[in-house]
Amino acid sequence: MPIISATNLQKRYGALEAVRGVSFEIESGACVGLLGPNGAGKTTTMRMLMGLTRLSGGELKLFGRPVDGVARERRARIGLVPQDDNLDPDLSVSQNLHIYGRYFCVPEAELSKRVPQLLAFMQLEERGDSRVMQLSGGMKRRLTIARSLIANPDLIILDEPTTGLDPQARVLIWRRLLDLKREGKTLLLTTHYMDEAQRLCDRIIIIDGGEILAEGAPTDLIDRFVKGHVFEVQKPIPDGLLVGPAEYEDIGDSILFYTATPSQFAGGLPAGATYIHRAANLEDVFLRLTGRSLREG
Amino acid sequence: MLRTQPFNRYTWAVWRRQALVWRQLIWSSMATNVANPLLFLFAFGYGLGAVIDRIAGLSYLEFVVPGMMAYSAMFASSFETTISAYARFDLQRTWDAILATPVALSELLLGETVWAATKGMLSAISVLVVGWIWGGVPSTGGALLSLPVVALACLCFAACGLAATAHARSWEFFSYFFTFWVTPMFIFCGTFFEIDRFPSFVQWLAWLLPMSHTIAIVRPLMTGLPLDEGMAVIHIAYLLALTIAAFLLSVHRIGRRMFD
Ligand SMILES: Nc1ncnc2c1ncn2[C@@H]1O[C@H](COP(=O)(O)OP(=O)(O)OP(=O)(O)O)[C@@H](O)[C@H]1O
Ligand SMILES: [Mg+2]
Repeated sequence: MPIISATNLQKRYGALEAVRGVSFEIESGACVGLLGPNGAGKTTTMRMLMGLTRLSGGELKLFGRPVDGVARERRARIGLVPQDDNLDPDLSVSQNLHIYGRYFCVPEAELSKRVPQLLAFMQLEERGDSRVMQLSGGMKRRLTIARSLIANPDLIILDEPTTGLDPQARVLIWRRLLDLKREGKTLLLTTHYMDEAQRLCDRIIIIDGGEILAEGAPTDLIDRFVKGHVFEVQKPIPDGLLVGPAEYEDIGDSILFYTATPSQFAGGLPAGATYIHRAANLEDVFLRLTGRSLREG
Repeated sequence: MLRTQPFNRYTWAVWRRQALVWRQLIWSSMATNVANPLLFLFAFGYGLGAVIDRIAGLSYLEFVVPGMMAYSAMFASSFETTISAYARFDLQRTWDAILATPVALSELLLGETVWAATKGMLSAISVLVVGWIWGGVPSTGGALLSLPVVALACLCFAACGLAATAHARSWEFFSYFFTFWVTPMFIFCGTFFEIDRFPSFVQWLAWLLPMSHTIAIVRPLMTGLPLDEGMAVIHIAYLLALTIAAFLLSVHRIGRRMFD
């Protein structure tokens, strides 16, 4: 039984269609990445799952039950890491966890045990008495993740958990997310770092303009859309190459060729051609599907 | 949209969050909610008390203690669900965070409202105690009897403040709230003078404000002046109806702002 089953989800803000008919399922224990450019509708989709935004259309089942009228039960089993930190600035670090646990009616004795455990889990044990204002961005993010775990949720929804963090902090968060996955938690996350998605996620959903463009395991998507190998050939392009069998994409001063048979392709290149050959990655898939132009600003 | 929600454990969790933050900032909280009304009480008790001999058959101190008590309740409750609550709503996003838990919006807002009323009661009781020690409370029994009425009034002021917050788009909005809601209740509703000293259209407006109805019950109870029971029921009914209407309106408006 899927933990999330979304059918034709829609969200309109006035005339703007932020999400237009998104359908997907998430199995228990999976780690699924929701990728898309700025404004694609990722946060909106997550807020609909949480019941923080009303659906304009579509159907949503969580934990096998239609969400209508079970907002409380649903939220009790989901931990949310929102895109913008909303930690309680009036409280200390450990109070942030403790008080949040009360909103879930976690018993006090249980909270007194769990708060130090979670602080240690996110390497914040030294900062329990600090005010939230005194924390760095990375510490706030870790605290927000710790907070999402306070009621021991089955499903954790993370909206850009590592944006703006240094490599050390990202690695720590990755390790923790993998720990959670091993414990059998279901994870749904967004990120703009493709290496992160490739590393963490069993399955990727790419959305843009409020619609799903592609879905599948990272290696699947790479094979399907960018054939496994990329040759970036500098212009001018040697004659005959463009009419060959390889799919290609013009990115300005060079052309990207996608091929599943790299040695054959390299053999076909004339001597003196300037090119780079590398394994294709999720970033290639993402850019290929969502285009290369800037979305906002 | 609102399912009937009594004060349940989720509302209690919200109330306790507020109480914890209040305890941590106890001195500044005390300054605004206790010292401030007491300063008013001293100023008016001494200042005007020296000028005004008797009013409605009472010494001015006896007259003004119930007024100050109601005023301090009104100010503390209104402030908490406007300026303070708006910060949690808009600036700190505390409400967003709480709504991602099993706490429902109506429970969150009820917790806010009851907490604001708690602060209002704290202010009111401190004025009452000082007024009593000072000899400005002729009927101690009546004063105790007035406390449940003050509690209802606090809920009413808190709910009205919340309704304002539900419509606020920026901080500037609250200068209107204080100018056209809080200050008139301070001036026209019988805090320092009897309402019937004002021209009749002002009186008529004053009776729309919950403060007038609060003082109309609390003052007779605390001073031993006659209280018409029929009128008392009407005053209480008005406060109750306004509380419920303002609260439901708040839940509806804030729900639309947050979820749509
Ligand atoms: N409350 C709102 N009112 C009006 N429009 C909104 C609201 N929230 C989001 N939008 C719009 O909906 C669209 C999708 O926004 P959303 O926040 O879901 O994007 P996103 O994929 O999370 O982007 P990012 O990567 O920048 O976080 C955007 O065009 C955005 O401007
Ligand atoms: Mg987003």
